[in-house]
Amino acid sequence: MNYQRLGFKAGIEIHQQLESHKLFCSCPSLVNDPNPTTNIIKRKLRAVEGETKEIDKAAKYERKKDKWVIYEAKKTSSCLVELDEDPPHNINEDALETALQVALLLKAKIVDKIQFMRKTIIDGSVTSGFQRTGLIATNGEIETSKGKVRIPTIMLEEEAAKKIKETPTEIVYSLDRLGVPLIEITTDASLKDPEHVKETASILGMILRSTERVKRGIGTIRQDVNINIRTHPRVEIKGFQDLRSMPKVIEKEVKRQIKDKRKTTPHVRKANPDFSTTFLRPMSTSARLYPETDIRTIEITPAMLKKIKIPELLTERAIKLEKGFKLSSQLANELVPKQKFFKFLVKKLPKTDPRFIAKVLVEYPKEIKSRYNLKVLDKHVEEILSYFDSKKITRDAVFEALLEISKNKKIDINKYKVVSKEKLEKEIKEIVNKYKHLRFNAIMGEVMKRFRGKINGREAASLINKYMK
Amino acid sequence: MTKHSVLDTIEVITSSEKYKGIVMPSKDKKYIFLKLNSGYNIGIKKTKIKKVKIIKKYKKEKTITRKLKIHKNLPTIALLHTGGTFASKVDYITGGVIARFTPEEIVAMFPELEKIANIKSEFISNMLSEDMCFKDYIKIVKEIEKQYKKGVKGIIITHGTDTLHYTSAALSFMLKKCPIPVILVGAQRSSDRGSSDAAMNLTCAALFIAKTDYTGVAICMHETINDTFSIILPGTKARKLHSSRRDAFKVVNDTPIAKINYMTKQITLFKPIISIKNGLEIKPKMEEKVAILKVHPNMSEKQFLFYKNYKGLIIEGTGLGHAPVGTKEHIKILNAIKKLVKAGCIVAISTQTIFGKVNLNVYSNGIKLLEAGVVPCEDMTTETAFIKLSWLLANYPKDKIKDLMVTNLKGEINERLQPSGI
Repeated sequence: MNYQRLGFKAGIEIHQQLESHKLFCSCPSLVNDPNPTTNIIKRKLRAVEGETKEIDKAAKYERKKDKWVIYEAKKTSSCLVELDEDPPHNINEDALETALQVALLLKAKIVDKIQFMRKTIIDGSVTSGFQRTGLIATNGEIETSKGKVRIPTIMLEEEAAKKIKETPTEIVYSLDRLGVPLIEITTDASLKDPEHVKETASILGMILRSTERVKRGIGTIRQDVNINIRTHPRVEIKGFQDLRSMPKVIEKEVKRQIKDKRKTTPHVRKANPDFSTTFLRPMSTSARLYPETDIRTIEITPAMLKKIKIPELLTERAIKLEKGFKLSSQLANELVPKQKFFKFLVKKLPKTDPRFIAKVLVEYPKEIKSRYNLKVLDKHVEEILSYFDSKKITRDAVFEALLEISKNKKIDINKYKVVSKEKLEKEIKEIVNKYKHLRFNAIMGEVMKRFRGKINGREAASLINKYMK
Repeated sequence: MTKHSVLDTIEVITSSEKYKGIVMPSKDKKYIFLKLNSGYNIGIKKTKIKKVKIIKKYKKEKTITRKLKIHKNLPTIALLHTGGTFASKVDYITGGVIARFTPEEIVAMFPELEKIANIKSEFISNMLSEDMCFKDYIKIVKEIEKQYKKGVKGIIITHGTDTLHYTSAALSFMLKKCPIPVILVGAQRSSDRGSSDAAMNLTCAALFIAKTDYTGVAICMHETINDTFSIILPGTKARKLHSSRRDAFKVVNDTPIAKINYMTKQITLFKPIISIKNGLEIKPKMEEKVAILKVHPNMSEKQFLFYKNYKGLIIEGTGLGHAPVGTKEHIKILNAIKKLVKAGCIVAISTQTIFGKVNLNVYSNGIKLLEAGVVPCEDMTTETAFIKLSWLLANYPKDKIKDLMVTNLKGEINERLQPSGI
């Protein structure tokens, strides 16, 4: 498809949950709180007049449904603030700092004073009827393979509650997720094609993870993509399963739009697992923000900014590892999350080649996971590599030993112990004598059967050769 | 720098950035607050600004409001606005919360009211309720009298919640004979937000007025933190018992009057309604020199003697109505109280336990207070006792006041306390 000819324009909005307590209260950010529900609250939300003296379109749509909103609260993850029964407390300084870090990584201009706003949301997903959101920085940028992408805004805001179910008469939300700090990053509409959207999302994700203060796992980062082709109004797509599905969904949506000759208005669509999209709701008008008067404005002074450490990007860290330890770039990339542990092991095990440590740290656990569905613990890696470093086991035995300890949580290291040179020589002499009539390969096979993992193959071969003569 | 004013669209150029937006009103002298195109507000430090360009001067637009129809089959309710977050509405342009007062504006905000009654409205004040004084109560009473003469079925007073129970007690006494319902309504969440409790409280108050024969002063607020029921509380027996919850108002030492199902509109009465027919009688005077003193550990007699020129003092005692008058060093406090009484100050004691009745006969400290001439406030809340004493002092001869203080006039004393509210 020729996206340029279609007048294709796209922009991304990324929402990333932060690994910290909630933004405006001290509740822990238990996004999926396993504890029992302690309170069930029943509410009606009203559409309120918006800025344009008109009830916000999206709000009106929700009001038409006029359902009860039920909130399930767990005392382990929510308090009166989430229930909209207590004004917001002071801002989570840790989350603010992370947002400032991200802003700096994105080369954005941090505002002098942050004013938190109330963004009207009336679908029930926020108990107050609005989401608290503050503009932290403007006008950042990132480099992509297809040129610079501008980042007009970086926001810090509250996560909404999780919808559990909806019936004709009520919508049920769980409050554990409400109030979890979120960073929202928006790009301009300069993304050129579906692959470019994916690349940009991936870079932004990497930058966020570089802070090491973001939540990881399914649902902790969400990408909304706004796309627009010349002949059709703007559409926002939410709910991508993963980055890989992004180009496919966008491509399918563009194709759908080209076929659709009806007159449509801007709206929000949901991405489905089969890469298609379905209508979700009309797009809300942009003008629905007003100041959150319960939170005082926050001054960002140069002194505050000076104290903020700008983390090194994950990509930069990978390059350093690659160069510093002569690793392949793929291995270096995969090693980044375990970088600290890797460096610790390199220091602790001076006789072991760092490249081997990297391999054992990254590749062995992957293989053990895929072949045996076992998780390899760091402490086990450390234990096995220590045996290797002190020459108690051979390089060939490391994998087997790691597998055994992962399986049984303990290990009898004697099984893998290196056979002494004298013993090995004696035994090889016996084997060669016993199988005099056999050829080298067969004798080697016999030797390896006895000593797999306990001897160095090359050494054994030279001994066999010595006695075969 | 070009002169710009609030609501103008401007472009601000700083040493590092360029921002375009609408100038927001702000009390912060060091910053300009701009509403950007995105809807977000930001503060820009004035010392950083290189240049300001005015892009568009603000021009006020005329607002068109539709005229309300009068429905002959519906009763008329007068809405008196005194303040609080009740009739507040966001001005999205400035971001400020502005109060709305005209009937048209109120019905536009709460359209469900139109089906219940014809709404009239009157602006009395727009203040935070903690700023209220006795003179404000008098204004309200005068307005109620005016509306009564115009023949309204009932009155709703929108009020800040902090001192709402003081006002409800004051109106209960000042409207000595009240043949119409006067319902005070508050909101714990301002009406600019989707989760506001204002609409439900207001609607339920209007329903209660329209559908029952209740006369007198009462409060209408959320029963629980759910939007399911509103509760009608007696004007002299209610108190704000939580700083922020929707169901902050609870009945104290009594039964609520009724509750209203927000969805079905069904009204459940908890006690029979006694209606007063015809003839509003008001006694709107209040004595200014009355105060409350809360008992706490480590008190000195000076704290009591401070009130020697007062006409009345409510001591909010501990437990059954106690003050520190038991030990040798506390004899000074007892003497100070005696001095106040001798100087003509009516000294009465309530309890800081909130629930339960004062009884000065049980412990020796109580007996000492009784003998010093302290009046027990029975099961009245401190707030109601304070208002009642101020009202009695302004309207009755001095020798009657002690007796009237312990006589139930407006439901403020309940002689038969029950183990549960309802």
